[in-house]
Amino acid sequence: MTSIPYAEEEGSSSPNVFNILSTPVTQQTHRFEFTGSGSEYFKIWIVNLLLTVLTLGIYSAWAKVRRMHYFYRNTRLDGANFEYHGLPMAILKGRLIAAVLFVGYSVVGNVNPLLGIAFFILLAIVMPWLIVRSLRFQLYNSSYRGLRFAFDGDDRGAYRVFLLYPFLAAMTLYLLAPYAHQQIKQYQHRSSRFGATYFSFTAGAGSFYAIYLKVLGMLLGLFIVIGIAIYGQSPLMFGLPILFLIIMAYPAVKLPNLIWNSTGIGRHRFYSTQEVLPYLWITITNLLGIVLTLGLFVPFATIRMMRYKLEHMGLNAQGELSEFVAGQAQDASALGEEMSTMFDVDIAL
Amino acid sequence: MLSARYYDGKTATAHEVDILLDGAHLFLRGSDFNVRWPLADIDISERLGNTPRRLSYANQGHCEITDHAALDELLHNSGIRHSWLDHMHHSLMWAGLAAVLIVITLLASYRYLLPWGAEVIAMRTPATVLAKMGSSTLEAMDSVMLQPSELAAARQQQLIAAYAKLKSPDAAPPDYRIIFRSSPRMGANAFALPDGSIVLLDELVAATEDDNEIMAVLAHERGHIERRHALRMVLQSSAVGLVVAWYAGDVSTLLSSVPAALLEAQYSRGMETEADQYAVSTLHLNGLSPCLLASMLNKLEAAHLPPQLEKSAAKDTDTNSALDYLSSHPATTERANLICPQH
Repeated sequence: MTSIPYAEEEGSSSPNVFNILSTPVTQQTHRFEFTGSGSEYFKIWIVNLLLTVLTLGIYSAWAKVRRMHYFYRNTRLDGANFEYHGLPMAILKGRLIAAVLFVGYSVVGNVNPLLGIAFFILLAIVMPWLIVRSLRFQLYNSSYRGLRFAFDGDDRGAYRVFLLYPFLAAMTLYLLAPYAHQQIKQYQHRSSRFGATYFSFTAGAGSFYAIYLKVLGMLLGLFIVIGIAIYGQSPLMFGLPILFLIIMAYPAVKLPNLIWNSTGIGRHRFYSTQEVLPYLWITITNLLGIVLTLGLFVPFATIRMMRYKLEHMGLNAQGELSEFVAGQAQDASALGEEMSTMFDVDIAL
Repeated sequence: MLSARYYDGKTATAHEVDILLDGAHLFLRGSDFNVRWPLADIDISERLGNTPRRLSYANQGHCEITDHAALDELLHNSGIRHSWLDHMHHSLMWAGLAAVLIVITLLASYRYLLPWGAEVIAMRTPATVLAKMGSSTLEAMDSVMLQPSELAAARQQQLIAAYAKLKSPDAAPPDYRIIFRSSPRMGANAFALPDGSIVLLDELVAATEDDNEIMAVLAHERGHIERRHALRMVLQSSAVGLVVAWYAGDVSTLLSSVPAALLEAQYSRGMETEADQYAVSTLHLNGLSPCLLASMLNKLEAAHLPPQLEKSAAKDTDTNSALDYLSSHPATTERANLICPQH
């Protein structure tokens, strides 16, 4: 399922509203371009690092804005670049809240384990709410061709996918984990819009299960090999971490492919064609570079990985990308804007 | 002449425009429209590598400009300059300087700021927190490397009584407990927990005939307690862990590292010397010779060296002194000489 290249998926017979209208539309493929360079980013990165260290971390919010500007402006689609609008003060506030929660949790947990558990439950209850604010912040502060992105997901849905399903997944020995993952992406993408146009998400839980099962199978194989290697005292034992790295490259490539190949916006469809071997090559050489240069290679590694991912993504457009229009709430909702500029909690989804 | 792409913020359509400087205004000339923006209110994005720059005015849309030279000339003519931060982010010299400054700052913070901050926090940590840390450390050690003591109860009482009589140079004599354990793995040793209890191993009691030498070790451990060395080490290693985790991009591992840091905490050279000095003044105060501590240290070192290595280690003074600088424990002979010069 997951290995079906995009071109074949295109031939699927899903009903297409715009074909029924029978208006002739030009079909064009736009690939994302990434124009960042390692040496350019290195200078930005190292000055950011210096100022962050000198200000005991406070500058990290400004550093993030500069980094995001650099990455967004270097990401181009159909000749236009993306833009980041997050404000450092909002990010600093979000980071302070996160730091207080983190320090509070570690201190409380150390002093009184029972209070620690209570704190953990409290965190779990607040987390979906925070994630929604964070997604709003991220999307509201992104724009392309002068139109903002937005996230309209409600708290109810967030509690369902970020608290209930992960909880159920944990209760069922993670049998439900692929389903929970699919629900999270579905909630996230279907609640996102660019201007007035919503994103769509069509992948079912089955295709998530297919990827997760393959990874599980490979991990089981690895465990057997580990068992044999340790039992036989074979020097092969030391190669096992590399095997683990290779196995984890599979979902790291196949999941984004699945997710983006199932995502559309209006009548346009995204595609993602990352492959395991090139991804693995970049991962391993990046790791080596970072270790050998004591971290100085980090900005180059970031750029390399970003370039690989973005340049294997694109949009199969039906008609012109200039037809998008601004959303209703774009300028109207001051409250929404205020809420969405307040929280920036870094979450990887 | 500066050409740009203009977006009105309402649709995604790009308009090719020419931008002209007109006194205190920018004049945007498109194929079917003209706009005048007051220069003072225009938000001009900073230069960032080779990325397109952006001019925006309130909610009136924005321009994307890739012709950097032409924009720089226009901005120069209008009297707008790059900020100093902007220069820093684009200069190779600043990149090199930043790398050096980062290293210097990190080293200086590690050497001076970190111990100072840890001491300030440690001295203000409430007793309840210390008690909690003490009991959880003991629990962890009990499960990993400690076994119940095989010392007779009468012998234990004897040592407790002797320790209780030991006067402390501090104003209020603190109520510190001795916890008896044994550990063939750790050998002759004693260590202080953050809450003030001292774990005394059977192997150490067996290493000497003279109870006053045991008291000297207890006085040394009490010095660690009084100066809150254990807590300071935990704070320092947690702070280092936090920075490393942040740099490596994984903060989640940090939570789990705190108990480990407690277990692996090694006192710094300065802390050992501080505890030695505390022990020396305690021994003086109790009419005992400081040399008791020195002789006990030598006995402990002998107890820890495997017999076949003992001779060669004694001969091999060159490598010993080289290692000494790196290790956190000052070499025993050096410490013994400091404590008891005539020794």
